[in-house]
Amino acid sequence: MTFGEITALADISIDFPAGGIHAVVGQNGAGKTTLARTIAGIVRPDTGSLHIHGQDIETGNVQSARRAGIELVHQSFALPPSFTVAEALEFGRGGGIGFFSRKELARRAGELLDTLEMDIDPDSRIRDLPIELQQAVEIARALSSNARILILDEPTAVLPPPEIESLFQRIRKLGDSGVTVLLILHKTREIEAVADSITVLRNGRFVAGPLPCEEIEADRVAEMIMGTETEKPDPGSGQSDGMTRPAHDGDPGQVKPMPSGPASAYGSALELSGVRTDDTAAGICLDDVTLSVKCGEIVGIAGVEGNGQATLMRVLAGLAGVSEGRMDVCGTPAGELTLAQRRSLGLRIIPFDRNSEGLSLTSMLWENWVAGELVGKPLFSLINPPDIRQRCTASMSIWGVNYSSVGQHAGSLSGGNCQKLILARELDDAARTVIAAQPTRGLDIGATSFVWSTLRTARHNGCGILLISSDLDELFEISDRILVMRSGRIVCQFGPPFDVVQTGRAMMGAAA
Amino acid sequence: MTGKLDAILRPLAFILLATLICGLVFQIAGYSALLMFDSILDGAFLSRRSLEKSLRWALPLFITAVGVGISFRCGFFNIGAQGQFYIGAICAAFAAEWMAGAPAAIAVPLGMLAGMAGGALWALWPGILRLRSGADEVITTLMGNFIAGLILVYVTSGPLKDPSGSGQQASTRIVPEEMRISDAGGVSPTIIAIAAAVGISGWLLVNRTAFGALAGLAGRNPTMLRFQGGRIWQLGLASFLISGALAGLAGSVELFGPSGRIASGSLPAHGFTAILVALVASYAVLATAVSALFFGGLFSAALFLPILAGLPASAIDLFNATVALLITARIALGSRLHRLPGRWRNG
Amino acid sequence: MVDFHEFFVAILRSGTPLVYAAMAGVIVQRSGIWHLGLEGIMIIGACATIVGIVLTHSFTIAILAATLTCVAASALQWFVIEKLRANQIIVGLGITGIGIGGTAFAVEIIFGSLAAVSAPFGVPRIGGDFGPYSRLSILVLAMPFVVLAIWVLLSRTRFGLRLAAAGEHPFAARSVGANPSVMRLLAFAAGGILCALAGAELAAGSLQIFAQNMVAGRGFMGFAAVIFGGGHPVGSALAAAFFSLVGVAGIRMQIHFGAFVSHDLLLCLPYLATVLGVWLTSRTRRGTRAAAQIAELQDH
Repeated sequence: MTFGEITALADISIDFPAGGIHAVVGQNGAGKTTLARTIAGIVRPDTGSLHIHGQDIETGNVQSARRAGIELVHQSFALPPSFTVAEALEFGRGGGIGFFSRKELARRAGELLDTLEMDIDPDSRIRDLPIELQQAVEIARALSSNARILILDEPTAVLPPPEIESLFQRIRKLGDSGVTVLLILHKTREIEAVADSITVLRNGRFVAGPLPCEEIEADRVAEMIMGTETEKPDPGSGQSDGMTRPAHDGDPGQVKPMPSGPASAYGSALELSGVRTDDTAAGICLDDVTLSVKCGEIVGIAGVEGNGQATLMRVLAGLAGVSEGRMDVCGTPAGELTLAQRRSLGLRIIPFDRNSEGLSLTSMLWENWVAGELVGKPLFSLINPPDIRQRCTASMSIWGVNYSSVGQHAGSLSGGNCQKLILARELDDAARTVIAAQPTRGLDIGATSFVWSTLRTARHNGCGILLISSDLDELFEISDRILVMRSGRIVCQFGPPFDVVQTGRAMMGAAA
Repeated sequence: MTGKLDAILRPLAFILLATLICGLVFQIAGYSALLMFDSILDGAFLSRRSLEKSLRWALPLFITAVGVGISFRCGFFNIGAQGQFYIGAICAAFAAEWMAGAPAAIAVPLGMLAGMAGGALWALWPGILRLRSGADEVITTLMGNFIAGLILVYVTSGPLKDPSGSGQQASTRIVPEEMRISDAGGVSPTIIAIAAAVGISGWLLVNRTAFGALAGLAGRNPTMLRFQGGRIWQLGLASFLISGALAGLAGSVELFGPSGRIASGSLPAHGFTAILVALVASYAVLATAVSALFFGGLFSAALFLPILAGLPASAIDLFNATVALLITARIALGSRLHRLPGRWRNG
Repeated sequence: MVDFHEFFVAILRSGTPLVYAAMAGVIVQRSGIWHLGLEGIMIIGACATIVGIVLTHSFTIAILAATLTCVAASALQWFVIEKLRANQIIVGLGITGIGIGGTAFAVEIIFGSLAAVSAPFGVPRIGGDFGPYSRLSILVLAMPFVVLAIWVLLSRTRFGLRLAAAGEHPFAARSVGANPSVMRLLAFAAGGILCALAGAELAAGSLQIFAQNMVAGRGFMGFAAVIFGGGHPVGSALAAAFFSLVGVAGIRMQIHFGAFVSHDLLLCLPYLATVLGVWLTSRTRRGTRAAAQIAELQDH
């Protein structure tokens, strides 16, 4: 029997059989969350249709999806933090004004939690609950209205490992009771542990599925997820040596100017030992992270997104506190320093999100370009904008940014040019330690290879570079070493030649 | 360049829209909208005398609005210009009182400084509450406006009470003649010089210092500035203090200048209009001058509108409010990138 | 004893409009927007009530007209904030300006002068034999029930929970099928009705008069009560009652003690209390902040 068919994203159609636990897997940006939200009616697809048990369901309408029995548990839970558990279970119920008494509310919540065997106080506030209980409440909320199809969007991403098994037990029990479960997952071990079938998405396209789990090998799944057979034509000329730059955009052959500071070839650029954080509110905590980056070296941090990379970045930038451990930037203890002081030591950051953390899109090019320099000056020191604009213009043409005026808004640049603008700002003469987070996300091939060759040149000139990426092609292309990060820990290290399957397994937590 | 053009066209479009809406309302209400706009133009801008009258209101507005613009540019919604204006005037009045008899050349500048200090102080506490504890500056500065209004009532009926007051409206004692920097006309070389100095230093501050550039970035994207290691505390405090000091200066100009005294509840819409002036000018100092002249002209027109067009003075209030309603709208007008300063999120 | 009753009546009289205004602010605040237009919408309600009574000689028609105009003005505020995505604080101040300017304008058009308009009668009185209390309007009598009803609506119904979700976590509201934008419109409409009652009580409760700018900051004080009361209906009503107690006590003290206590400085208390409240809540929790742009309230 077919219960669902959906044509969405890049024209994909999937039939999920009724009953059982179905895993949907894929890399970041593969479209898994969009798929889940489309089924739940939160996202309206441009074309396509949705059938539940053969019945056509109006797309883009949460109410009709819920009437058909579809419930979605979001990755970052959709529960108002100030609500009590009982209120959070109640507010999603359908229909009318919905008067209730306090007693009745507590009774209903208690009953629901009891039947699901969840031991949660209905009067505690959502914001006071640990993350696994918040998730449990969200699942309970989803089940409160007799869901027949339950979708969980990356439910394991936020959980500490011991909690994952109890989540799986809960999911298995649900599956046994006749609820169809759609699980969005990352890790092959987890898929093997819980799912009956597996469906793979990549870049918004349907790859395969639903395939019965027992018929397919873990390595084959990893390959399908990573897309090793095809994908990304190698943009660099193989192992380029860092001096030549592949042709790109419209200005081929120009040699990148890089600061040629004294390349203290074996000096330390970045040194972390035993770093821990304990602020769970800020995301996955770092757990005993030790790593070192030498000058003239690119160290890659591989990992599925959401495994502590963002926390690592915030710690390095001094925007999150460290509870334990030691951090040196360019050989100077930096744990107590402000970001401005770290920057004066030579720390430079290419942040994850260039549109919010890297640039102010509504400010002018030159303002964005000069921000780092101005931050180091006294607040009321005089500046000379015409001169800054001139220097900015010069810098823009050196870096090959395609723009019309340094007075235009940064938001009017293409993604690649935005990234070049950031590189132009961050890779100045004083840069010693560079943290590059997802530096090529969303860029086309030309811009990607430009960024890569720029980072290689920086390495050649003596910078120590920490490259945080979830793109293995990128890591393999330019890293000297790769560390794999999972659940806030550095789990293993690889040297060249790198192996996709091996690294992919480490990222997904499959048994080696 | 499109950004600049947009910044000019956008407010003009909204003012035009507000004019159309109000004109329609007036027409429906049975007045001749055309006659009204004609008489506003005539009475506010088209003759030397009327222009002078407009300038009398425009100058203090301009001084306050430059400050409002600086704090909004930095992303802090200091809507307390009214209170800072009052406290500035009160401090200046106290200073003038204490220095009675001193040579005006010393007393007046010191009085102005006292006014600036008072205004800055009245912006300092919301600033500290905002930057240290994250208490929303909108509430604190709004409450500050009311508290300052009550302090003004207290001062004018107590410590600085003018015994000869008519009883209608309590006010401070008149500033001694030799300390006045203008007559009741309010347009004197001194006041123009003060406004010019504010304009020039405001322009320099915004366009020629690190503060100005960083404030622009902070107002548009504080996250980005944080990743650049920006000292947000310093930046915010400076913008609060500067905006408060300028509102206080406007208050003391009003005191030493055209009014000669400060009455309780006087100029109740000064702060609100200054916010409008700054918003319409998109916080650019030169544009602020033009926009201050425009709103000053409207204010002056409101005083004689009943005589000229038989229209109630409240028509101008209605027009101002309509502009306020629309000016921050983010409807696509050529450029989708135009944005108000974002608010600082979580401390 | 008589004096005490008089005192209490005075508090009820000056406090009731504040409480209604605060209730409007509470509901709108639940939906995620700070209602800085209370002052303006309240004065529209006051004006429409008096003008309605004068023109139609019917209290029912007058209060209906007041409700309609206030709901329309609230809907306008919602439209500009939600659909034109304007800054909610500036829009609130703009609505206040439109209320104050617009009512003065309307009065001058209708009656040909700026003078205060007085109505032959006002809101029906409680009547009966309750001493000074029988002179109070029925809106005073209704006030505690309205507060109770709003508390029930917000804390004891699914509608209230969804409204709060729309304000606190719009995505959560949307993922259970409640449209946050519609929830906010409903909140503004309810706020409009309450502002109409606030204005009616202020203008026609005991005075039966409408004068230019007669709300004189009471709308903002209602907003302060919302903040001081932590956005809770009962807390905000108590805050409003406290504010009016301070006001009445100030006047009494002025009469009895003359120059010894400054009644103006005493009147600062509500505002100081609000600042203190904001400071304390921002220290204990993440702080009370308004979203400047509706984009922050429209989910990701």
